[in-house]
Amino acid sequence: MYITIRAVEVVRAPPERLGDDLQVVVKEMLREKLEGRMDKKIGMFIAIQDIVDIKEGRIMIGDAGVYYETVFDTLVFRPKMQEIVEGNVVEIVEFGAFVEIGSLDGLLHISQITDEYISYDEKGAKLVTKDTGRTLGEGDKLRARIVAISLNERDPGDSKIGLTMRQPGLGKLEWIEEEREKEREREKEKKKE
Amino acid sequence: MIFLEEERDKYTKYEKARIIGARALQIAMGAPVLIETEEIDPIEMAIEEFEKGVIPITAKREK
Repeated sequence: MYITIRAVEVVRAPPERLGDDLQVVVKEMLREKLEGRMDKKIGMFIAIQDIVDIKEGRIMIGDAGVYYETVFDTLVFRPKMQEIVEGNVVEIVEFGAFVEIGSLDGLLHISQITDEYISYDEKGAKLVTKDTGRTLGEGDKLRARIVAISLNERDPGDSKIGLTMRQPGLGKLEWIEEEREKEREREKEKKKE
Repeated sequence: MIFLEEERDKYTKYEKARIIGARALQIAMGAPVLIETEEIDPIEMAIEEFEKGVIPITAKREK
């Protein structure tokens, strides 16, 4: 999920920018330093929002830059275990589907899509269920639950998020709708009885 | 360290050297100069700034 948090970080203002507005310089430097970076505890930094406070600068020996301890609000993407997410399929591969859930992609393994047997259609780049013939292809919207998280700080793109759809209420949005329709019909019949 | 009361707010020669040194490095690396000056040497510029009291740097003393 996306959340706004308040964080503290020391940032270096380079000497050639000392004449400029400190707020602007610090914000720019924080952006450069943090945006796109991953922290296992915090999550992935998406955007620096407001600078709340800039403490007194410090000058290190041999470095013309000035270091400011800064308090700021930042938007982060933090995947959470058991979280329900909605996303688009971005790629279908032999072993499952990659789903875009915010700023990272999650892997929906072939065994976690439905309770049915599912096979890979290489030509159509689609996954097809055996009995009902439901398909899952690129661009499909679906709802899934996060069941595994392994974040990589050095290479954020290499982080792995595992998803599942084998639970009631999860699946491709069309499938969920179909299930709901069936449920309604069943209830109607019950009332008739 | 013990200071005379009238010298309490004055910088020691060590603090002065550190401030001028830090400021000269900033100027040498492209920081804007805060005074009108004929000097072209960053150290001389920093000294002039220090004498005019315009350097935005202070020294913190251990209590």
